[in-house]
Amino acid sequence: MQQLADVTPGRVGAAGASVEVAGVSHVYEGRDGRVPALEDITLTVGAGRFTVIVGPSGCGKTSLLMMMAGLRRQTSGTILCAGRPILDPDPQRVGVVFQEASLFPWQTAMENVEFPLALRHVPAAERHRRSASMLNLVGLDGFGGRYPHELSGGMKQRVSIARGLVQDPPVLLMDEPFAALDEQTRMTMGHELLRIWSQTSKTVVFITHSLTEAVYLADEVLVMSARPGRIIDRIEVDLPRPRTYEMMATDRFGRLRERIWQQIRKPD
Amino acid sequence: MRRPAPATVRWLILAGLLLAWELVPRTKVVPELFLPALSKTLAVLYEGRAEYGQNLLVTLYEVGFAMLIACGVGILVGALVGGIAVLRNLLLPVFSSLYAVPIVILYPIFTAWFGIGSESKIAFAGIYGFFPVMLSTAAGIRTIDPQLLLAARSMGATIWQQIARVIIPASIPTVLAGLRLGGALTIIGVVVSEMLTSAAGIGYLVSRYRTILDSPRVFAAVLLILVLSVLFDLLARWVERRTVVWQTAGRQGRTIAARTPSPATATPAVA
Repeated sequence: MQQLADVTPGRVGAAGASVEVAGVSHVYEGRDGRVPALEDITLTVGAGRFTVIVGPSGCGKTSLLMMMAGLRRQTSGTILCAGRPILDPDPQRVGVVFQEASLFPWQTAMENVEFPLALRHVPAAERHRRSASMLNLVGLDGFGGRYPHELSGGMKQRVSIARGLVQDPPVLLMDEPFAALDEQTRMTMGHELLRIWSQTSKTVVFITHSLTEAVYLADEVLVMSARPGRIIDRIEVDLPRPRTYEMMATDRFGRLRERIWQQIRKPD
Repeated sequence: MRRPAPATVRWLILAGLLLAWELVPRTKVVPELFLPALSKTLAVLYEGRAEYGQNLLVTLYEVGFAMLIACGVGILVGALVGGIAVLRNLLLPVFSSLYAVPIVILYPIFTAWFGIGSESKIAFAGIYGFFPVMLSTAAGIRTIDPQLLLAARSMGATIWQQIARVIIPASIPTVLAGLRLGGALTIIGVVVSEMLTSAAGIGYLVSRYRTILDSPRVFAAVLLILVLSVLFDLLARWVERRTVVWQTAGRQGRTIAARTPSPATATPAVA
């Protein structure tokens, strides 16, 4: 909690925008013919909301996220972000944070955060200023000169989050960003993410396997079925914010977690 | 007793070898024909400096040209073969098998095509050095983490930006390793072809003085090639170290990260 005090309060950057997924299905050509991966997904993520998607392995939740990012094209259906369809990657509307930090090992933390700006030929001074403020936001002041191999797993993901936010997109998509971290770091990072989220008011779509993480972070948890992936439940997490570690031990938290678990394990 | 540093031991071994080179022939156990003393070798090298210098220039010219071909064509073909799946499936098995063929067998044909001057050496050594450069470039491009390209795409990188800003920097370490090996093979190619058929170059001096049993002059030429190869290797390693800082500093870096586990509360260590 004391980490909160280290960062200037007040909102940073543009606020969130809604994401609307309407009737999205996906079929891919496998070795044994056509495999349906996603089936008629319809969901709305309200502006500034924190939505977590959970589901069994291979249910297509990463595919869905890749489609929201414009990195993969769905077979049918539409995805709108801030009211306009997503057809290609658009880092000014949607930032993405991947499971592995996927930082460029030949660039320093600062250069990695500057990368998306450099792609658009933003002048060096402005690039530097914006990246520095993002590194400050994620709690990495003074680490800009480090190479990724000089950073711990948690710090790498902080850089990755800073990189996802540097273009100030209204939407941040996160694909199991903390899955490779140890339990302790994972808890800290979840907490840090909530702090960053509350400061930036972005819309966050977050994929995870951890039910505890899902309940701890989310405004709303969407549960997906095994392949072909469908949305089988929508759970409103009405725990007060700011969330605290102590909440995890409460009955309310346990009941929410249990409900998600019942949905996931349900054979269908 | 304290154990001496590996670097010290390496220098001691080198000094020991040079000392043995000087002292063993002096004991007359080994005839001069087999091994002339170091001092004598250096003396004839100095005496014949004009001849050695001239021939060294020829060798250097051939090596330089051959390296240019090996590296230039090697990187170009390697990039195409590594980056384009159709070419890769078509050509990579062929190239890999060719690499195992003793290409020196082609050298007589090259002399027929290009004559016994520098051209045949450049062609032969260029092809000799081409394979490792080409194969490691292809491997470097093929083994790029697809996650990095996905991340670049998510940040809006065009295909050209992906090539310039991700594929090229990511493959530099493997390409450099290939250049080091290819460069060394180029030197071997030039010297071997000079020894086989030629009218100039250090390799030519080796084989000419060998036929008249002038051992000190043979060893003087050998010494030059030795120094040339070592210098090239040192240069290549230096370039590798300079360009790939982010890769070689790995172990040192982890300890830095371990010392500062809590980034939000840590004081800035690097400005």
